[in-house]
Formats: sequence, C-alpha cells, structure tokens
Amino acid sequence: MTFLKLDHVTKRYGAAAALDNASLEIAAGEVHALMGENGAGKSTLIKVLAGVVKPDNCSLNIDGSKVPLDGPDDAARHGFRFIHQELNIVPHLSVAENIVMAQAYPRRFGVAVDWRRVHKKARAALERLDVDHIDTRRKTARLSTGDQMLVKIAATLVSSDAHPARLYVMDEPTAALTGQECDKLFAVIEGLKQSGASVLFVSHRMNEVMQICDRVTIYRDGRTIETTKIAETSRERIIEAMTGRAIRDTYPARAHAPAKEIFCAVEKLRTKHVSGLEFSLKRGEILGVAGLAESGQSEVLHAFLGDEKPLSGKVEFQGKQSLPSAPSVAWKRRIAYVPRERRREGLMLRRSIVDNAVLPHLAQLGSGRIFSSRRKERAHTGAIAERVRLKFGRLGQPCYQLSGGNQQKVVFARALGKTPELLLLDEPTRGVDVGAKFDIYTLVRELSTAGSTTIMTSSDLPELIGMCDRILVMRDHRQHAIVETDGLTPARLLQMFYE
Amino acid sequence: MLSLVRRFGTLIGFCAIIVFFWTQLPDTFMTPRNMLNISQQISMLAVVAFTMTIVMVMGDFDLSVGSMASLAGVAAAIVFSHDYPVYAGIAAALAVGAVGGLFNGFLVSYIGILPFVATLGTLTMFSGAAFLVSGGKTIFGRDIPSGFSGFARSGISLEWLGLQPLHLPYLTILAIAVLVLVWIGLEHTPYGRRLYAIGGNYEAARLAGVKVRILRMSAFALTGLGAATAGLMYASRVASANPTQGSGLMLDAIAAVFLGMTMSEEGEPRVFATLVGVLILGVLDNGLTQMSVDSYVREVLVGAIVVLAVASSSIGKQRA
Repeated sequence: MTFLKLDHVTKRYGAAAALDNASLEIAAGEVHALMGENGAGKSTLIKVLAGVVKPDNCSLNIDGSKVPLDGPDDAARHGFRFIHQELNIVPHLSVAENIVMAQAYPRRFGVAVDWRRVHKKARAALERLDVDHIDTRRKTARLSTGDQMLVKIAATLVSSDAHPARLYVMDEPTAALTGQECDKLFAVIEGLKQSGASVLFVSHRMNEVMQICDRVTIYRDGRTIETTKIAETSRERIIEAMTGRAIRDTYPARAHAPAKEIFCAVEKLRTKHVSGLEFSLKRGEILGVAGLAESGQSEVLHAFLGDEKPLSGKVEFQGKQSLPSAPSVAWKRRIAYVPRERRREGLMLRRSIVDNAVLPHLAQLGSGRIFSSRRKERAHTGAIAERVRLKFGRLGQPCYQLSGGNQQKVVFARALGKTPELLLLDEPTRGVDVGAKFDIYTLVRELSTAGSTTIMTSSDLPELIGMCDRILVMRDHRQHAIVETDGLTPARLLQMFYE
Repeated sequence: MLSLVRRFGTLIGFCAIIVFFWTQLPDTFMTPRNMLNISQQISMLAVVAFTMTIVMVMGDFDLSVGSMASLAGVAAAIVFSHDYPVYAGIAAALAVGAVGGLFNGFLVSYIGILPFVATLGTLTMFSGAAFLVSGGKTIFGRDIPSGFSGFARSGISLEWLGLQPLHLPYLTILAIAVLVLVWIGLEHTPYGRRLYAIGGNYEAARLAGVKVRILRMSAFALTGLGAATAGLMYASRVASANPTQGSGLMLDAIAAVFLGMTMSEEGEPRVFATLVGVLILGVLDNGLTQMSVDSYVREVLVGAIVVLAVASSSIGKQRA
C-alpha cells in the first residue's frame, strides 16, 4: 500500500537543476533505499521532504490525498523524522536532553523541569531500541559516534503523540558506525518496520542496501531513473543505473610494488592517546589503520600531523628524528591531511573552492614575497580540480553549494596541492558515492606510484583490503597487529578486531 | 526584488540618505568644502573601523579600541610634555597600541578567553591607565607641540583643481593610506587570506597548516595599532589629549563593520564595505548636525539605521 507519493519535484539553483521532475513512492512498512551519485539530488530531495528547501514544483500525496509541504512544521505533521549524515546533537548537554529536546520538557508545578520524567522518557526511548548501556545522565559528547547515532534515533522516537512518526529518513546513518553498531541499527530499523513505519534509507554502501532494503529508487542528475525491488536487481544493475555507465565495484590495481627505500620508521611510539606503535613504511606504500570505532585509528594519523604529541619512543622520518610539532610544520614537510569530518575539520563552507583548495599553499602561489596572486591560485585550482574530477559551476563558488562527494574532492584538491610525501587520509570515502569513490581510489594509487606514502583509516573493510599494502590493527588505542593484505578477507580482518 | 534589497539595500540606503540631505540642504551639503569636511570628521572613525575589520574577519572583535585610542593620545601628550620631540611621542603612542593589542591577542588566542570578555576587561584597564597617567586631566596648551597639532589642520592644497582655499586634509590622506594598506593586507596577501580562512572555520584552518594562534594574536596587535593611530589623529586635531576622548569610537567602528558586512553575499567583512559603513555614519552625523537635529534624536536614528540595514540583509536569507 502506497504511503507517500512525491511527484514532479523540481528545484533549480540558478541554471543548474538539483532536482528535475523527480519522483519517489514509498509503501507503508517498507525500507526504501534512495541511491545515486553525489549531486544526483538525494540530499536536495531530503531537504524538500524536511520542508527546509522550497521546491519550484512538487506534489505530495499521503495515503492517496494531496497534502501541503510548506515548511518543517508540515513535515512534522506528516510524521516525517530525519536522521542526518552529520549528527546534529548538542554535545555538552546530557543524553536525556538531546533525546527530549524537540518537545516540551515535562514540568513540575508548570515551571521547573521535571528531570526525573525527562530521564524516564529518554530511557524509555532508548529501551525501544534495545539499548541499555547508555546512561541518560552522561554528556553526549562523551559517547562514541555510534552511541550518539543511537541517541539521535531515540530522539526521533519520542515524537509527540499528535503526529506519530510514519517515515524515518536516514541519510548515511552508518557512515560513522562500526560493523557491530550497524547491526544494532539494522535491528532497530527492522523494529520500526514491524511497527508499520517506513524508512527511507540513503547510503552509499551497497552491502547494506542489499541486506536491509525492500526496494530501491535510483536518482541520476536530479531525475528518477528507476524504482525496483531489491530482490529483482543486482549490484551491477544498481551501479549502472546510478552512473549511467558500467563500473565494477572494485579497486584500481597497484601498478608496481612499493620501493625498497624505508620512508619512515617508528619504534615503541607512545602518545597521549595511542601506544605501542611499531612499524616502518616504504616509500609509496599504503598503510591502512583499522579497528573498532574509536580504537585510536585517527590518533595514529594525528601523530604524523603533529596534532598528537609523542611522549616516548623513537622516530626516523624524512631524515629527521622527530614527528612534526604542529600541523603547520607538517604541511611544510609535505605531509597532507584529509580530515574525518569534512564540514567541521575540512572546509570553510562559505568560502570559495579556490580559497579552500589553496589554503596551505598560499605562500607558494604568491607573486613575489608579499602578495598573493589570484590568477596563479585559480590556474592551480583549475588544474587540480580536473585531476580530482571535481564537478562544479565556477571556481569562485562557495563550497556549501557542492554535494558531499564534491566537497570531499575539494579537501583532496587541497591535500594534492603539492605532491605530498606523506598523505594522511581519515575515512577518505565517507559519505562519497561510488563514482567519486573510484576517482579517489585512482588518485591515491597514482600518488602512491609517484612515490607518496599513504596512511589511511576506513571503517569500510573491503576498501582497506582493496587499497592497502598492509593494515595496522588497533585495539584499545594500542597497536595490536600489522598484516599484509594479500589473501586477507574482511571476515578475517574483522575477527582481528575482537580476538 | 527581495534579493535585490538584501544585496544592495545598504548601498541604496546610502544613496537615499545623500539625496535626502542634498534636497534638504541644497546650499551647504553637496559642496566640495562639506565633502572634505566630512572626510576629515570621519577619518579617525575610519582608521579604527578599517583595522577593526582585521579582527572581525576572523569572527572576533575588539571592544577596547576606544579606550586604547584615549590611552595612546594621552601617552603621546605625556611624552610631549617632557619636551621630547614629536616622533618620540608618536612612537610611544604606537608602541602602547601595539603592546595593548598584543595583550588582547594573547588573552584571546593563547589563554582562550572569548574576545568579548577579554577586550571588555582590557577596555577598562586601558581606560583606567589613561586616567592614571594623565591624572584625570586634559593635557593641552604649550605641552602639545605645534608641529604635531599642525598636522591635523593642514593638508595638500587643491589649487590645481581650481578649489583655491580648500585643502585635502592630511588626516583624510592618512585614513586613505590605512584603507589601502588594510585592503592589500587582507585581500592580496597570504596573511589576510589566512585570516579569512580562520574566520571561515578555525579548526579546519588549523588542520590545514595555518598558524592560527600567532595570526590571531597579530591581528589584534594591528587593531591596537589602528586604535593608537586614531588616538594620535584625535589628539592632533584638538591639540590636546584627555582620557575619554576616544570613547565614542568603539561602538561606531563595530557598527560600521556590521553595516559593511550587510553588503557581501556571504556576510563577510570587507574593508571597502566597511568604508561605506563609515561614510553612512559620517554623512548622517554631518547632515543631521547641519539640520540642527537634536543629538539624542541623532543617536536614535543612527542606531535604527544600523538595525534596519542588518535586518534587511537577513530577510529571507537561507542558512547554509
């Protein structure tokens, strides 16, 4: 039975159409996947559903009758609930407050907040998700990303009874989760489905879509390409529909083995957050760093960026006995960094593509010693944008107008400004579509061939195995093992996280 | 239509103000003499506002500029009163400005105090220090060398333009010089571009290798220097120095930058936009004074116009 039917959705930004007569149909009690490359219009569609973007044209039918969608209030009235890609929690408030925030707090004598009831309400919401390990009194900032996601989902469950939740829109909910946390989320989704609610699931992870979704709608260039039952399609067909061309969901092959030359060696390295680091890297080698969520993977990268001070141990790196003392020193030593959270740590969203891309290289792109040269900066950015296959309108465009994958490419463009000696990639393909992923893989391979050494983290295990020469397994912020990827399977790697 | 108001509202408003005064004061307003007069009247505010733009680019601001201007003026006067040459007094005032600004920057950037709180504290400190060294009195008369006070009263003759008795005041020229320097510094050097990056996203700038702390501190130092320059200009103009003479500058300077910010699409401070802000405030002040509007009414009007400008630029603005 059709629950929601969206038709003729068009949204133009200037000359470019983000959505061009797109449509979407969701049945009651189904998990519906929405797929498409970055810039295909998924995010815009979600914003339309949420009532935060006003489409140029749109017709919405719920239960067969036409209803308005003029703002967030309408979306709430129709029972839409949103769980976004980038978590919007208030980190310094308690878990309970984050859960009940959207409603009126329970009161005592009509004035004072009744904290006992607030916590009770929050606990009840978490219990519905079968979560009992999160204390509602803790500060949300102290939780792992996965737990924060659960809090966020719980928050959508305590909806006011007047407008019960009927559609959960989840935009890349698993991007920050470990395998275990994903499984928990999938169980929750199954529960929501049983209760009669629908889920619109947006993800770039093919495995998940195949595993939990009933139907899939594919967007390309703002248009609906097709809606099919998952059982009647295949990965290859989905990718073909998304990209309009046949790409295999694989990794570009290594051109040749890394050089023999040792580029970097650490012995018994200990920092504030990680310890026991002991490995050496050859020039051009790609080292993966894996583990359960927040086991210290990012901190390994931070140590090389100079953002995590070494406390003890020996380092032999770029002919020096030390790691960089600050990120500014790291960039000077040709260590480039692609951060995990591109919106928070990567981009100046309101600034232009050029400004973002040239930031660490301003001094080299100047004219003379004092002045900067816009002309050189534009030429430089234009050339790199082509290399990373950035899709953009004009180079002076602010980055918030770009899709997630293209924003990530801007961060890459910054890192590649000067061919890096060491490239630090923290979840480089998080929230990035298949086509852009492949572009990024190809780039990393090219750089590796050209002699750049890479250290990358990823929670996508096939990706790590496909891209890396060796994988460093972290457990509880300690180096647990280091393994060759030849013949390694994701299952075997996963096992190492727990054993 | 709405987007036009948003984008050019401030500029349209500025033109409307000029047209209004032109019709109300047909004989005295739109004259070369009055224009030059306005340019001199606003030169001190302009210098403070231009250098205030430097910190506001990073999303910070400096409340202490007014009392810093007073303190710098008093410091120069004290040096003069001990019979030191003019350049020594100027150097002392600028040094006070730079050190005070560095102190602000240190508190904000290295200690991590919010700019509002840190500069509110130093506002009071600088003001107290100005009273302390001056003994609470106005320093004037023979203590101020005529070479110093003469600067503000003279300028380049405009004879070649056929405007015989008129001079382009040195104070105006100085303000233009500061404008050009700040413009080049902010928009055409890596230094300024990095400040904009810090304003765009502090953490991202830091991780991209920008030396955020020292840059932030240096920007406050420049704002302090600008405030001290304005203090010197003021002291030269009135040939005296007292510990409260700069106090009106801070609010007007911040208002001018805000007015300017309404003109950019992304709401970023730009120094030429700040100039428009300064001109709006200066023209209003000049015109209303000429129309003998009560000064309290003037304050209400100026405040209302700032609010109106910021409001019109926010109407219907989509959040990024």
